[in-house]
Amino acid sequence: MTAPPMTTSVVPLPPAPPVSAALVDAAERQQLAETWASPGGFLGWFTHVNHRNIGRRYIITAFAFFVLAGLEALVMRTQLAGPDRTLIDPETYRQLFTMHGVTMLFFFAVPVMEGAGIYLVPLMIGARDMAFPRLNAFGYYVYLFAGVVLYGGLLLGIAPDGGWFNYVPLTLREYSPGINIDLWATMVTFIELAALVAAVELIATIFKMRAPGMSLNRMPLFVWSVLVMAFMILFAMPPLMVASIELAIDRTVGGQFFNAAAGGDALLWQHLFWFFGHPEVYIILVPALGMVSQVVETFTRRPVFGYTALVLSLVAIGFASFGLWVHHMFATGLPELGASFFTASSALIAIPSGVQLFCWIASLWEGRPELRSPLLFVLGFLITFVLGGITGVMVASVPFDIQAHDTYFVVAHLHYVLIGGSVFPLLAAAHYWFPKATGRAMDEGTARLSFWLIFAGVHGTFFVQHALGLMGMPRRVHSYPAEMGWGTLNLVSTVGAFVLGTGFAVFGWNAWRSARRGAAAGADPWGASTLEWATASPPENFNFAHVPVVASRQPLWDAPPDGVPVVVGLRSDRREVLITRTLDAAPDCKLVLPGPTAVPLFTTLAVSVSFFGVLFSPWWVPVGGVLTYAMLVVWNWPRQTHETEDSDGPDHHAARREREAGADDRVAAGWAGEQHTAPEPEPPDGARVGAAAGAHLQADAGTGVSGSADARRVP
Amino acid sequence: MTARPSIPVPHAPERLERAAVDVSSLPVLVTGPRAPLWWGMVLLLAIESTVFASFATTYLYLRFLAPQWPPMGIDAPGLLLPSINTGVLIASGAAMAWGDAGVKKGNTRQLLIGLAAAVGLGLVFLVLKVIEYRDVSYRWDTNAYGSIVWTIVVFHSTHVASVLLKGTAVAALALKGHFTAERRLGVQINGLYWQFVVAVWVPLYVLLYWVPRL
Repeated sequence: MTAPPMTTSVVPLPPAPPVSAALVDAAERQQLAETWASPGGFLGWFTHVNHRNIGRRYIITAFAFFVLAGLEALVMRTQLAGPDRTLIDPETYRQLFTMHGVTMLFFFAVPVMEGAGIYLVPLMIGARDMAFPRLNAFGYYVYLFAGVVLYGGLLLGIAPDGGWFNYVPLTLREYSPGINIDLWATMVTFIELAALVAAVELIATIFKMRAPGMSLNRMPLFVWSVLVMAFMILFAMPPLMVASIELAIDRTVGGQFFNAAAGGDALLWQHLFWFFGHPEVYIILVPALGMVSQVVETFTRRPVFGYTALVLSLVAIGFASFGLWVHHMFATGLPELGASFFTASSALIAIPSGVQLFCWIASLWEGRPELRSPLLFVLGFLITFVLGGITGVMVASVPFDIQAHDTYFVVAHLHYVLIGGSVFPLLAAAHYWFPKATGRAMDEGTARLSFWLIFAGVHGTFFVQHALGLMGMPRRVHSYPAEMGWGTLNLVSTVGAFVLGTGFAVFGWNAWRSARRGAAAGADPWGASTLEWATASPPENFNFAHVPVVASRQPLWDAPPDGVPVVVGLRSDRREVLITRTLDAAPDCKLVLPGPTAVPLFTTLAVSVSFFGVLFSPWWVPVGGVLTYAMLVVWNWPRQTHETEDSDGPDHHAARREREAGADDRVAAGWAGEQHTAPEPEPPDGARVGAAAGAHLQADAGTGVSGSADARRVP
Repeated sequence: MTARPSIPVPHAPERLERAAVDVSSLPVLVTGPRAPLWWGMVLLLAIESTVFASFATTYLYLRFLAPQWPPMGIDAPGLLLPSINTGVLIASGAAMAWGDAGVKKGNTRQLLIGLAAAVGLGLVFLVLKVIEYRDVSYRWDTNAYGSIVWTIVVFHSTHVASVLLKGTAVAALALKGHFTAERRLGVQINGLYWQFVVAVWVPLYVLLYWVPRL
């Protein structure tokens, strides 16, 4: 990040009379609302493409799977509450722990983070929608179908039962003859598709659709974290797809990839799986870190400490996470030199994580923290995640790992990092952005109650599991004899799990009730700094009537008092969005987005023919392929709007030339000025923004930390 | 439910706004990195590259594990036919590039000729692949070598088949006169994918036909 000095890049505003948008453009607003509306009704539901509709679906569906996976965990904890219990048989237990892991990692954690990104990123970067709205809808249907089929399998008793990482040779046809494992391979590949689609969508949107002036070094930290997450998905998910395809070939047409007798190798599976599997953990963690940064900034009433360090840490975590996978395989007898390398790289990742922690601590230290429920969940994250990090450094060392491998110590560790690192920030984010999404505030008292229940539940459930692991209790056993002496601690853990479940029930009840009866929140209940709070709660379908122009990292705190600079000239009679340049976000061109359509649904159905068909016969794959091709032709066939009323059609050029002397010059002047150190007299408010931003830079350097905090609007 | 307080009316916060940038005359039809779709395709290619790289990694992993490669009883693959065929595929990429250059000047005829030649050469590539693998002495279920070779060849050939289909759709649009010098993002995206399918074959060709001879 080579941040240009902020003072030189303040947007020079061409003289334009201040207008109050709310007053003059009621007709425009009405037309925008019609253009961006989604059809109602049951059938209309299948045509929605607006990013907030899709994002909301992702989040709600992900939480539904979270509940299912949580219930599975409670059943397992009940079974383990005492020795020699027989609530469920071993086969069901295997399906339950497999489904718990598969659901939490593939069907909850990744989709909920993508959903948060899809919902929030356009709002935070000042865009009306995302770059490929239909692709968004397609990804959601793929996710939904995969999840429904997987849970259909559980109801039929044919759910996957090979653990969430599905090791061969156990999962080869010879040892797992049922359809269970085929279901795993197919559905995991299918959901990867959804994740990849969302990643492409998020990167293209973040690169090309930021509000004018929001250069990369002014992007909110959550947007940065989503960008890093999306790039990680791009390179982590394909190896798993390849692994599942190879497994499917072995199982359906007699391939020999993993059969040692025919030149294959079982460890190949572990390499491919963990090359995905370790980044996966960070794919879940990284956006959560971005959420924490946003919450910390808002509730400490100051720009978050060390923006540049935080961004670099996110990127460093993204890269480093691809060099750790072998630490899941220490017990497989790898060469010692390799093991040492991966020990070092595993310990290394503690450094960028630590940098982030210290930045947040500095923000809390120097700011004026308001301990509202989102910040409470962030504090819960700090404590829990640090404990998980400490055990992480422990299991990163080979001698310790060999001892703890496959015991409850690892179960405790991974739940501390996943719940601590991901679920607590997610709950903080849920409380933080709930007013934006619903227009109503969550009840603060109930929120605090749910926090303390969840916090106590997490530590009650999982802390004792460290001890159980050190006492030798292996993971994935469906029962244990009384003479092992593990009964008491397991009972404590089970009680903790029910406290945890109660905490989530209170959270769910609070969300449900507050969405209906909560106090009206208003556009900006927290006095936050980022663009999503500049629009209504809940936002209208077009997000922003006028896309704002951004001149700092905290556009709402640095808004000039005599009028917020905005973009005009986007048409309201079609879904027109502004495309800006990738690095500096200068206005570049426009894009006309497609409206509501059922094409994504039918495309998903076509792809499903391949994915669900292969469970029965490999010949369904080409059938689905041909259907998918047909749907993609329909999808990409030029839309009517482009054909008939393209604003760049031949007729338009005349009108454009006519205008060029007038309005067009303003664009050129406004954005050419940005390249130089704007010598022309800036408006007085612009100078103020520049000065504040300069002070902010100093704060980042650690010299005048509290200098700029008081200069900001604090409602 | 009846005592439900009224939903707050969505409203923009009362902020004073003023027009700073007028974008009404910015273009809609753009090409290259200015267009989000171009980025979408580049990101798809990043995903595809990772998939191919993972298959190649599988190949090399199995190769370095094996005492003999190809395994006992399987001859090293012949070089003549696949080398000629690689040339055919590269030629189809060149034809596609020539067609793309035509539409850049607004010459739809050149685009159509380029597309037809590229599709024809792509078909030749597929036919020669079928001829080549019809006669090999191993199947995908013979051993791990057979599994990975067949998987890579079928996976890549599927890509060739899909660009042929895609090229046909682009040709249909070109016949309708859809593409102009300005409106050619679709051609550009199609060309990008085509060149990827050609380019990714070159390392795969080295892997499949030269690595067994090392």
